[in-house]
Amino acid sequence: MTDPLVEIKDLRIHFFTDEGVVRAVEGIDLNIKPGKTLCVVGESGSGKSVMALSLLQIIHKPGQIVDGQILYHRGRVAGGQFSQNGAVDIASLNRKGRDIRSIRGAEIAMIFQEPMTSLSPMYTVGNQVMETIRLHEKGISKKEARERAIDILRRVRIPKPERLIDEYPFRLSGGMRQRVMIAMALSCTPSLLIADEPTTALDVTTQAQILDLMLELQQEFNMAIMFITHDLGVVAEIADDVAVMYLGNVVEYSDVDTIFNAPEHPYTQALLRSIPKISATRQPLDMIEGMVPSPFRRPGGCPFHPRCTQALASCSTVVPSLTTLHENHIVRCLLHEETGEEVPRG
Amino acid sequence: MWQYIFRRFGYMLFTLFVISIISFVVIQLPPGDYVDTLVNQMASESSGVSAEVEEQMRALYGLDQPVYVQYFKWVRNIVTRGEFGYSFVYRTDAREIIMDRLPMSFALALGAFLIVQLTSIPIGIYSAIKQYSIADYGFTFLGFVGRAIPNFLLALVLLYLSFRYFGRAMVGLFSEEFVDAPWSIARVMDLMRHLWIPAIIIGLDRGAGQIRTMRANLLDELNKPYVDTARAKGLSERRLLWKYPVRHAANPIISTIGWALPEFISGEAIVSIVLNLPTGGPIFLAALFAQDMFVAAGFILMFSVLTVIGTFISDVLLVWLDPRVRLQ
Ligand SMILES: Nc1ncnc2c1ncn2[C@@H]1O[C@H](COP(=O)(O)OP(=O)(O)O)[C@@H](O)[C@H]1O
Ligand SMILES: [Mg+2]
Repeated sequence: MTDPLVEIKDLRIHFFTDEGVVRAVEGIDLNIKPGKTLCVVGESGSGKSVMALSLLQIIHKPGQIVDGQILYHRGRVAGGQFSQNGAVDIASLNRKGRDIRSIRGAEIAMIFQEPMTSLSPMYTVGNQVMETIRLHEKGISKKEARERAIDILRRVRIPKPERLIDEYPFRLSGGMRQRVMIAMALSCTPSLLIADEPTTALDVTTQAQILDLMLELQQEFNMAIMFITHDLGVVAEIADDVAVMYLGNVVEYSDVDTIFNAPEHPYTQALLRSIPKISATRQPLDMIEGMVPSPFRRPGGCPFHPRCTQALASCSTVVPSLTTLHENHIVRCLLHEETGEEVPRG
Repeated sequence: MWQYIFRRFGYMLFTLFVISIISFVVIQLPPGDYVDTLVNQMASESSGVSAEVEEQMRALYGLDQPVYVQYFKWVRNIVTRGEFGYSFVYRTDAREIIMDRLPMSFALALGAFLIVQLTSIPIGIYSAIKQYSIADYGFTFLGFVGRAIPNFLLALVLLYLSFRYFGRAMVGLFSEEFVDAPWSIARVMDLMRHLWIPAIIIGLDRGAGQIRTMRANLLDELNKPYVDTARAKGLSERRLLWKYPVRHAANPIISTIGWALPEFISGEAIVSIVLNLPTGGPIFLAALFAQDMFVAAGFILMFSVLTVIGTFISDVLLVWLDPRVRLQ
């Protein structure tokens, strides 16, 4: 097994709202491998976006990382904050500090769901793309930065990049804007690209083009991608590995073939049953029996037990721990606990 | 963009034309004219005036002609010779009366305007960034109070307080030794020292409103996805804040800044009347009462010109600052 680029260990993120504490992420363990695509799937509200934002320490206000580590393995950097083996624990960095800012955009980049609102209408495409380049590459001249920006816009297949660079984002189509977002994210050749449902807001044709582009650029830039989606069709198309999330936990993790052909967690099985077998149309995953509980009332024990068809009596009280079924297949379910071996917590 | 600005400029000229008609007609609306006022006055004093003399006086002032002729002459004289007609009350050129007082009106309105803009926008930004801090609560409270108090009442209260605690009412725009002094640096400084009190009275309501608008706008913008994008790039909080959310939040306020001018001009008039400041306001009011029509019409016209220019500036700022408007 390759050494991970990012190791997430027992990550917990809570939102301290006036109405109570929302436990958006409640103990996630997950590895991101260099150069591979990890898809994160799960119904809306399962904590995918919150987890993604935490990798850059940009969680919104009442939210806070309350426990756990995000170990980012890179070469030594001067002035960084180190824990084991020269890895940086992103979770422990000051969210406004220099260390995390030197990672953002340069080593870990992110693109968001809404290409319409993720770019500012007040500044040109060029201004916003060059900003990242000039921020992380000290001493680069304005002219060089502009050439770099044009070059990267060309590589995301934007026609006439010399012209488009001076255009304002609101004059572009959704697909073009998302290409600009990708260009911006890749401008400093990051080692990890996080994409939070980047194609959900696009039409099907554009969506396919953007996915192809991302896979192609992944080869070219040799970067890892964490791709968040609730679309299993997309997962089948692009994933190397898949993490299935439910209410702030990763309930099952494996390579894409195992997830689709031999899923072990009842929730994963239910997800797969919810997509029509022979169909070209992609369906949102809202057809599982029961409702996702309110974030304020996260069920005790296994959070999925109220909706689980195979629940045991103990499921409502015992929190299942991670069980490694075989290499690269981990599940968090009591049904499997006695058969597998415990994974030691980091 | 230039096309837009030219069009706006055209609108501005057209608006001025309409305003000049309206102001002239409004002045004519009250029953009677200046000669009637004069005749009544003379009658009550001693001798009556014969109808013949009355007609002669009307002819002298041109009041016997139809309104549109009077209007046409009035406009022609303003445009070609800068003459505003004759003041019946002061028995002198109306221009002198108007130009003597108008700069003070303008200085006061502009002073209030600048104070409001330079304080309310930064305070609004600060309140939003430090939401729920003690300072934020303080400014919010101040904002409500500022909105709730009518400015004439505030003027009266300050008048009373200054009289009560400083022994003299803070009326006027100059200290005694400067009232009739020629312009000098010292006189300007003296004016500045007096200006801020009426300026605050005039601007408080607007300023309070703008603090609330800026705060609310910015709080909205702070959670927009493009802020996440900017943060994910690695920008520092300060740079990011000023470049993106503040710019977005301030844009609607700054680009409509000139639309606030009418409020300041009329506020100026009210406050000057209450505090008896040597600006256009009190003279304008007196001219209306006395049916000194050329003075009154001149003031209305000049106030309107300032307002319309303010609006035009806003129109230009709007396209200049917001590419969405510029490129539509
Ligand atoms: N700003 C916030 N304040 C309070 N709760 C939040 C906030 N952002 C997210 N959450 C909560 O965190 C949970 C996970 O949200 P999210 O990560 O956006 O889900 P997903 O991306 O999987 O749809 C949800 O229950 C949501 O209510
Ligand atoms: Mg999400």
